[in-house]
Amino acid sequence: MWLFALPALLINICIILVPAVLTFTAAFFMWDGVGTPVWAGLANFQNMVADPVFWSALTNNFIWTAIFLTVPVCLALVMAAALLMAPKARIVVQSIIFLPRIIAVAVTGRIFQGMIFSPATGIVAWLNEHGFSISDPLADPDRSLYAVAAVDIWHWWGFLAVVFLSAMRQISVEQIEAARLDGAGFLQLFRYVLIPGIRPTLTLMLILTVIWSFQVFEFIFIVTRGGPAYGSEVLATFAYRHAFFEGDVGQAAAAACVMSLFGLCATAVYLWLQITDDAQST
Amino acid sequence: MTMTRRQLVAAIPAAALAANLPRSARAEDARKVVTFWFGQANSDGQAALRNDLVEAFNASQDKYLLQMEVKGAAVNNLLKVALVAGNGPDIVQTAGPAYLTAIANAGQVLPLDDFAERYKWKDRFLAPLLNTSVYGGKLYALPRDYESMHLFYNKELFKQNGWKLPTNRQEMEEVADAALAKGIIPFGAGNADWKGVNEWLMTVFFNNVAGPDIVRKALAGELPWTAPPFVEAVELSKAWYNKGYFGKNYFSLTIEQSFLQVVNGKSAMALGGTWSFGTKSYGMSKPDTVMDVMPTPSLGSAFTGPLVHLACGATLSIAKTSQNAEGAAAVFEFMLTRKFYETMNRDWPGKWALPVKDLPPDMLSGIGYPLFEKTVANLHEAFSKGQYGFTTWTFWPGATNSYLIEGIEQVWLNKITADAYLTRMQTLFSQEAKEGKVPPLPPRTA
Repeated sequence: MWLFALPALLINICIILVPAVLTFTAAFFMWDGVGTPVWAGLANFQNMVADPVFWSALTNNFIWTAIFLTVPVCLALVMAAALLMAPKARIVVQSIIFLPRIIAVAVTGRIFQGMIFSPATGIVAWLNEHGFSISDPLADPDRSLYAVAAVDIWHWWGFLAVVFLSAMRQISVEQIEAARLDGAGFLQLFRYVLIPGIRPTLTLMLILTVIWSFQVFEFIFIVTRGGPAYGSEVLATFAYRHAFFEGDVGQAAAAACVMSLFGLCATAVYLWLQITDDAQST
Repeated sequence: MTMTRRQLVAAIPAAALAANLPRSARAEDARKVVTFWFGQANSDGQAALRNDLVEAFNASQDKYLLQMEVKGAAVNNLLKVALVAGNGPDIVQTAGPAYLTAIANAGQVLPLDDFAERYKWKDRFLAPLLNTSVYGGKLYALPRDYESMHLFYNKELFKQNGWKLPTNRQEMEEVADAALAKGIIPFGAGNADWKGVNEWLMTVFFNNVAGPDIVRKALAGELPWTAPPFVEAVELSKAWYNKGYFGKNYFSLTIEQSFLQVVNGKSAMALGGTWSFGTKSYGMSKPDTVMDVMPTPSLGSAFTGPLVHLACGATLSIAKTSQNAEGAAAVFEFMLTRKFYETMNRDWPGKWALPVKDLPPDMLSGIGYPLFEKTVANLHEAFSKGQYGFTTWTFWPGATNSYLIEGIEQVWLNKITADAYLTRMQTLFSQEAKEGKVPPLPPRTA
């Protein structure tokens, strides 16, 4: 059995375990990225927790996680259920809602930045010219995180809907028909048949959402670079800035360790749920 | 020997592959390759690099073959990783002395003293710029250009409104208030595509409010950044931001959009760098341009008169692991030819203004761009005499500079006070100064 796992194991060791160990080790050194690393003990972690920007970045990661555990998931569940009930519209609607997912992140970011939010060239500019007083949310430190989240949700929710729809289609038709014959409406069907029927998929996607939310980087970096005034800074942009703009790889590695910690917690919860499920089913 | 049809068909892909191979890989080309990674370049810039540097150098001799790759904005990150891995290019271009410090201190680039001796570079470059690349008595890079912040303005707009060119803070604010009253944005400014615009502005505020001598003292560690002149500088920047001097859309507009506001008369002025001359869409090279330019006026009581700011936008070094240091030095020597200076500055003005000591007026006039020529001539004179301020991107060490850029947004948006901003800057600066990360400071004369 180990022989079968060997290729995957080797790839994982080379491209995941080794860099992970090196990053963890780097968190205990002062290193500018080109010189000789110097042992720093816990100094990088101490400096990090003393930096108010770290805490605002961590808070933003939690806000991001909360947004992505709710808004796109709810949208996707409703859309998946609706598409399950309306098979004729399925192909067209799936294609449309999946489309944002196949557009490059950089392109999506630039479209929203330049063609929607921009007060010079975007829809916001057009609205202002027509009597609506709307400012660019990306330019407001209190709204920029939510504005970028909106862009990412647009990019993400269709994919989630397609995944949920695939899972719902595995539910036995007899079960759905029986519920309908018993008089279940859409909401009851949704609550008592569809959601329980896709629970493993839903759990997996929620756990992955937590992991990905603590790694979020591309959209924020492309659209706001964490600003203005650190308003949309998250741990990944915090780490990137330290590593590549400030020449402080140790501090960046410390932030990366915190990001990984949340990912590990989410993974542990997922494994625990799996074990619990297995125990219940045997 | 005759070939069958099948052999002929089979040979086509191989021939196509051979035709696409780099010239160095071909057996008949015995030239030694010199590799060079460049950062960002617009389409005009890429054409200038290809024609005026790569092809011109390769045609000028038959020993070396220059190969350039334009790597984009991430070049600094790529370069660091490549140098550590021993796979960097022969010619190492950094974004200025502040970036060079770590690389030179780590010994990733070669000392150039032997080449400098052979080619007499120390006699041919302006000392204040060349000396920004001297560490431990050794020269590690050549300055690729000099830059400064300047006040660009729409001269037609000034004429129509009867505004006089400002020579001090009061006059500057009078013009700005008059512009605001007419619905004109005083300064076209935007950082949506490049947060470094913040430091362009702060270079002006620190130097022109506190004065260049005070700034030099702080960079030398003789005065903390929390001193009153710097508080005044930061407070003034905040007051101008809050008054709307930079417009309502500072965080939404790109550099080009904001500069074009000045060209189109929607803004009166722009605090921009001499690299602005290189963007053709601004139309400043045309004889009928509405734009004009002047050094930035004093904004405080520390000095009177205009001020330019010493900046080196890029340094050129040779990688420690280079297999062709001689070839890289030959490229540097080629850059010092009059023909290269004229063609490169004609095709991509401001990007490659080599800080050479000998800059005869007829060499500049050959460029055919009056605004650029007069600006470079003024810069050359000021830098030669030691009369300059200090730009943040050249003299502030990395972490301090990064905070200067990011933190000032917190001040402008009322998230922290000027004192808190400068206290944090001082903490970072003290640490970096202790670690030897502050680039060498050239002397200044009043």
